[in-house]
Amino acid sequence: MSRYVASFLLEVGFNADKAHNIVKECVDGVLGGENYNQNNINQWTASIVEQSLTHLVKLRKAYKYIVTCAVVHKSAYGFQTASSYFWVTTADGTYTIRWENGTMNCIVNVFAIAIVLQLTKNVRLKPLN
Amino acid sequence: MEEYHRHCDEVGFNAEEAHNIVKECVDGVLGGEDYNHDNINQWTANIVEQSLTHLVKLGKAYKYIVTCAVVQKSAYGFHTASSCFWDTTADGTCTVRWENRTMNCVVNVFAIAIVL
Repeated sequence: MSRYVASFLLEVGFNADKAHNIVKECVDGVLGGENYNQNNINQWTASIVEQSLTHLVKLRKAYKYIVTCAVVHKSAYGFQTASSYFWVTTADGTYTIRWENGTMNCIVNVFAIAIVLQLTKNVRLKPLN
Repeated sequence: MEEYHRHCDEVGFNAEEAHNIVKECVDGVLGGEDYNHDNINQWTANIVEQSLTHLVKLGKAYKYIVTCAVVQKSAYGFHTASSCFWDTTADGTCTVRWENRTMNCVVNVFAIAIVL
């Protein structure tokens, strides 16, 4: 009997450190050195989520990703967020980064949901020997 | 050969149903209230927990993520964005925007299909 191995990505495990580095770099790149500007804010939030997602997918792990970003002008009252999830605690993961400068607060959430591998006849396999 | 029975035969994310669930939760927690720094943590926690509980009770084969953000109303507004890498045929999302005289609230629901 031949043994086969799936020829596509098989890495599992959510790495919060990698997510931190990716997202921090994206936010620094988009918001770094900028002041709150009503005209640019939509483009900034869109850039942050798109760039973060692109880099996360490039890690080639078996995960679906959701990236959310919220930016507010700094105020005396602050900014409150909460999140709750119903998932598999051993495989799925989340990471939140809080970023601020003189004029604005930014929160980026990354949620990673493990993709359960299903072997079907459409999957390409290659023999081990 | 044994037969395999799914716990739930319903598939497809019903955004309208999720919208109603979340709106009811937000109305129940924030309705009639003014922005209050002391209560805000408890309010956001209640919103996400109640919404999640009701969504799970639908008994569908989904994992859920519920996020909630509340800000005091200001001239500068409030901006959020989200981007998702998932199965566009099975997974889904719903966003509820709520406001009163003193605060804005945005609740996002993300539903990821569980492949059985």
